[in-house]
Amino acid sequence: MYRSNNMKIRMMAIVVVALVSIATVGAMTAEDIVRQMDALETFETSYAEGEIVTTDRFGVKTSTFRSWSRGAYDSLIEFTSVAERGQKVLRTEGELYLFYPDAEELIRLQGAALRQSMLGSDISYEDMTGEKDTLSQYEVKLLGNERISGRDCFVLEFAAKTRTVAYPMQKVWVDTGTYMVWKGEFSTKAGRLLKEMAVLETMTVDNRTLPKITKISDKMKRDSATEMRLTHLDIDVDLDPVIFTLQNLTW
Amino acid sequence: MTMKLIHVAFRNISRNKRRSLLSGIAIAVASMSIVFLFAMVQGMRDDMAQNLATYYTGEVRIRNAQYEEYERYNPIHLTVDWQRIDQALAQRSDVTAYVPRITFPSAFYVNGGNHPAVGIGADFSLEAGYSDFASSVKEGRIPEAGKNEMLIGSVLARDLKLDIGDKVTIISSTAARGNNAMTLEIVGLAAFPVASLNSQFFWAPLDRVQHFLRMDNEVLEVLVMVEDDERKAAAAIKTDLESVLGSTLDIQAFNDISMMYSFIEIAQFIYYFIGVFFLLLGSTVIINTTMMVIYERMREIGTLAALGMHGKELTRLFFLEGVFISAIGAAVGVLIGAGITVYLGKFGLNFTDALSGIDMEISSVLYPRFNIWTTLIVYVYSVVISAAATLIPSRKASRIEPVEALRYV
Repeated sequence: MYRSNNMKIRMMAIVVVALVSIATVGAMTAEDIVRQMDALETFETSYAEGEIVTTDRFGVKTSTFRSWSRGAYDSLIEFTSVAERGQKVLRTEGELYLFYPDAEELIRLQGAALRQSMLGSDISYEDMTGEKDTLSQYEVKLLGNERISGRDCFVLEFAAKTRTVAYPMQKVWVDTGTYMVWKGEFSTKAGRLLKEMAVLETMTVDNRTLPKITKISDKMKRDSATEMRLTHLDIDVDLDPVIFTLQNLTW
Repeated sequence: MTMKLIHVAFRNISRNKRRSLLSGIAIAVASMSIVFLFAMVQGMRDDMAQNLATYYTGEVRIRNAQYEEYERYNPIHLTVDWQRIDQALAQRSDVTAYVPRITFPSAFYVNGGNHPAVGIGADFSLEAGYSDFASSVKEGRIPEAGKNEMLIGSVLARDLKLDIGDKVTIISSTAARGNNAMTLEIVGLAAFPVASLNSQFFWAPLDRVQHFLRMDNEVLEVLVMVEDDERKAAAAIKTDLESVLGSTLDIQAFNDISMMYSFIEIAQFIYYFIGVFFLLLGSTVIINTTMMVIYERMREIGTLAALGMHGKELTRLFFLEGVFISAIGAAVGVLIGAGITVYLGKFGLNFTDALSGIDMEISSVLYPRFNIWTTLIVYVYSVVISAAATLIPSRKASRIEPVEALRYV
């Protein structure tokens, strides 16, 4: 009898929690989801190591890198693979600079140049270092829910507010539980697919579920795909603010 | 009898000088145009062959076998082993000179913007033995090996407001299929005969370009000058190198590579027909004149026929008149054409404005190529065609009945 009552209480508790969860989720607006999504990808500070593996008609090419980030706007990537050793990409205060060891000046990328392929991969400089403030750049709309990789996801559509963004339209699948983006389709205003992104493997860092291996394919290139693999990620590490300065870039 | 006919024919030509002059001028203009046209086409063909051999492909070009298939993707990683090719070519007696080159698309980073430019990595010590490269340096000097220096096309420098002593950062894709940038100092301004070489190209030391493009000791192509027929030489070099390096190379003669050169070869063939057409047009004046002369001298023809002159002799008389006018007209035309060709062959025809912005391997200043044999052929060709054209009206003279001709007013 006691056992039966206990079971009933447990069942009721599960139902109540489930209902509350559904009510909470149901109450979330598209903007709320995007805020959670951006918050997941934004760290006070972070340090990462990884590799970019590009497969195209000429074979497989691997470049390794390490990167530092601060908040939503500042990031620095330094390539460590032999062919690109010492090359750096700095994004700070809305500007993007490239440092090449053989060049006596920094190269500032702006406008359409930001959409250039980074190291011949399917990832552009803007993709790699882009600001994580989606709501200031896009109008967002919740289209519904779908299951991706066995996970329940919100399906969101982003329409650009300005012409300065790389992708005028985006459709993303955001995990309802972790708010991690599992899949993304990036298109022109007319709906022509430019890029596709899918998370192949995740990792948990500091109680956050984050992409470990992400596959990106540029639909403008034939037979080409790039996997971005994070091999190491530290969150909220102590970083010297000088890392994100132009002076540091040329040292 | 023939001598008399020749004498009469000559006399008849001078009977209506204006008409004979008109016919002669028509043939002369046609012959002159053809001599000049053929010389011009030959000049263009020779010029293009020279430019292709010197700057673009060599007489024989050696490249990676896969390069052509992927050319539109800028497959800068599809290189060839320079050292092994160098060793193999050094043994060949039919090879007169050869140079390694790396031609790569790039961008100049100037005033915060990217400007497209084509770079050529070259070993300048070898270039000196390959062509008269030094004569292309308009100002400054040739870059030195091991130094981050460049020789830039004078028009490109002018367009970007660059000068000797300025430093330019170039950006390009690398053989490792990544990106790189390097700063080079401008040490010389070049003035090449081809407009696009001046407006789009810059030259840098091979070793620095190899470092910049992550190519180690590899190069993109080897340009070869040969003694004999380029196609035969290409086939022989291919057999030789394939025994050393396997079938990893694409080895072709320049006249099989350049589509534009093939077009000019075809155009030259077409111009032979255009030449015939020109002469036929000129000959219509002779046909017209001879017809008029026949109608004008109808009573005379009747008298000659009544006195016993045969139809064949009448035909021959008018035919000889046509031949003399053609021969004199063609001689004058060919001489004037040859004179113009020789003059322009020395001083050139400047097409700088017409060719600006056109990406062709043809020089801005073209020199028509005078050829004595072509000129003689054009002369014979002119006389034969225009003389043959006079046969049409001349045959009419033989068919005229003396009685009817004598009644002709």
